[in-house]
Amino acid sequence: MTAVANSLHAAPRAFELRLLSVIARKVIREASRDRWFWLYCAGFTALAGAITITAVPDHNLIGSGGFGRTAASLVALVQLVVPLMALTLGARYLAGERDSGTLVFLLCHPVSRTEVLLGTYVGLAGSMFAAVATGFGAAGLFSALRSAPTDPVLLVRLAALSWLLSLAMLGLGLLISSTVRSASTALGTALFVWLAVVFLGDLGIMGTVVATRLPVGALFATVMVNPVEAFRLASVVALDGSLDALGPAGTYAVDRFGDGIADIALGVMATWTIAAVGAAVLAFRRGDQT
Amino acid sequence: MNALRSVRPVLVATILITGLLAPFAGPAVAAGDEPGGLQALIDAAEPGDELTLTAGTYDGGITIDKPLTINGKGWPVIDGHGNGSVITVVSPDVTIRGVVIANSGKRLDREDSGITSDLSPGLSIIGNRFENVLFGMFLRHAHGAEIRDNEIGGMDLFIARRGDGIRIWQSTDAVVEGNHVANGRDSVFWFADGVTVRNNHVQDGRYGLHFMYSDGAVVEGNVLEDNSVGAFLMYSTDLTMTGNVFRSNRGPSGYGLGLKDVDGLMVSGNRFVENRVGLYADNSPSKVDLYHRVESNVFAFNNIGVLLGSTVARNVFTGNAFIDNGVQVASDSTGNLLDNEWSFEGVGNHWSDFAGFDADSDGIGDIVYEIDNLFTDLIERYPEIAFFAGTPAAQAVDMASQTFPSLRPEPILTDDSPLIRIPSFPPAPMAGEATSRLFVLMVSLGLLGAAVSVMAGGRSRFRGQAVPGGTT
Repeated sequence: MTAVANSLHAAPRAFELRLLSVIARKVIREASRDRWFWLYCAGFTALAGAITITAVPDHNLIGSGGFGRTAASLVALVQLVVPLMALTLGARYLAGERDSGTLVFLLCHPVSRTEVLLGTYVGLAGSMFAAVATGFGAAGLFSALRSAPTDPVLLVRLAALSWLLSLAMLGLGLLISSTVRSASTALGTALFVWLAVVFLGDLGIMGTVVATRLPVGALFATVMVNPVEAFRLASVVALDGSLDALGPAGTYAVDRFGDGIADIALGVMATWTIAAVGAAVLAFRRGDQT
Repeated sequence: MNALRSVRPVLVATILITGLLAPFAGPAVAAGDEPGGLQALIDAAEPGDELTLTAGTYDGGITIDKPLTINGKGWPVIDGHGNGSVITVVSPDVTIRGVVIANSGKRLDREDSGITSDLSPGLSIIGNRFENVLFGMFLRHAHGAEIRDNEIGGMDLFIARRGDGIRIWQSTDAVVEGNHVANGRDSVFWFADGVTVRNNHVQDGRYGLHFMYSDGAVVEGNVLEDNSVGAFLMYSTDLTMTGNVFRSNRGPSGYGLGLKDVDGLMVSGNRFVENRVGLYADNSPSKVDLYHRVESNVFAFNNIGVLLGSTVARNVFTGNAFIDNGVQVASDSTGNLLDNEWSFEGVGNHWSDFAGFDADSDGIGDIVYEIDNLFTDLIERYPEIAFFAGTPAAQAVDMASQTFPSLRPEPILTDDSPLIRIPSFPPAPMAGEATSRLFVLMVSLGLLGAAVSVMAGGRSRFRGQAVPGGTT
């Protein structure tokens, strides 16, 4: 805290990147002491490893192919675990600091709220990067050791997409964190948001399709708004090269947007990230942080 | 040998001399640049002669109108210069061997080809290379043709603007063996009864193999990969499909093997791996007294293992392995597939998602295997729902139907003798290069290293910066 304390007399001043990075490092350091963070990391890594270990095919039976299914399983795993991890990490962090009183202590120092929030975000994003890279790295490592089929380039692309998804989810988590009073409320809200983006949204659209025969264009648009779905569709494009295997709505998307589908998906995730972090900054600056 | 003896000495001398001069003058000066060129040599030859071409470039656009053998030594190039077909054969018993056939025209309406033929029974095309040709070969009335060990590469055009690697029309008992066809459109066998297609490798095209009205075709040991459709059989009877590999044929309506109005078919020992749909059948068999056997095949990692039209019946599936397909078996509309048989004389199929047991250890599951996924059932009724394949929500739908039997749809198929273990299969040409383990290892360690350095950066550099921060 010395660095922060020493800039005490520098009162109204410009946004300082150095302070942001000091706070980001503090957050990473705390994440590395957080039991929940390690539990998620271990769970994600174990499951990713298990997927690759069980995926070793009999070469005479199916040749060197088979990574497509492994990758599809990894994508399914990421859809469940990464949003859960990022949402709860973001939601617990500031609310937990507030509950324990350390947030007030931090804000007593000459450091702006924007710097604190963005620093926290960058720190958590770094922690999520470590978690995702560990999971995919372990999956690749097990594949290499067991001579399972692997496409390392695809592996890295999926890891990058997973991290982008975690950035959007972290933003939502911090937004919850900055608006909700207690850590337990924040956690509950985060779990509800997780349920909504992972299950309820899709189930709702499926129900709408069954009830109203939603046109494929509207179906594609409503699904694509969901950052988890944007991640999935971008991954399917990375895996298959297109959405042709996903029925009429997939064919529509290919006809309408061609190679632009991945860009749209990336744009959706980026928009969610910027909007959520921006809203979190506003809420955090206005809110009562005691 | 007869052909060798009848070769005219003058001709041989001419060709050999031009061939010998070629290295000194560069490839541009060869028989092709002599007055009349290769066509003159052919015109001068007697029926049954053998012409030996040495290395060099010869002008294309030639017509062979008498029984003749063209024998290339050192890969002579017959160059069509982008006009029309390179070689036209209008005679029985022509053999073309060991030459490079290059640069046909690119007009689809005139079917510009490397070799085009009509009324050419006994045509043999053996060990040639086809480069930058629209159609590789287009043979008409070439009964008993022999197409062997050719390397056929198409033009770098949009797929619908390309020609077919091999097209055989109105020709019985042709043999197509050991060819490698890449970047073509289709390989078409049309009215080609009794054709044998064996050990070919067809990749990066639209229809790897396409049979129409070709009865009694035998298709074995071929590798069909990265095409839109591996092989499509239409309107044909008495076909045999054995030991082929259908891999990664993933076009928008792509299948590993597609069947339409086929009667009398044996599909055995094939590998269907990573296709959009492994095997698709529409109205096959169409005759009510016919049964098709689909036996000892592997369906692995396809989006859909087997897709059948809802009225398709009388297919007998036995001894196959269904391994981790997104959907193992589906119907292309509502309705079940119970008019097909999913076990035969006590031998069913292996299903990777079989959740039963085998208390008496006889290798046969003690409970039946059924496909009754609610999600798949929804897709059949509302195809748009397929957009959600692979989401946690789709899994939740299936889990709900397993938990609450009132939600469970009627099974679309029942295998009452599911195989516990994967049966052993005859070998198939499972090519495909594996990725270097070292590269995978390096990338993985790179990811892990990046993770560690981010976490370590949080600790060490924080302290490192705190010290100078304290001195300002």
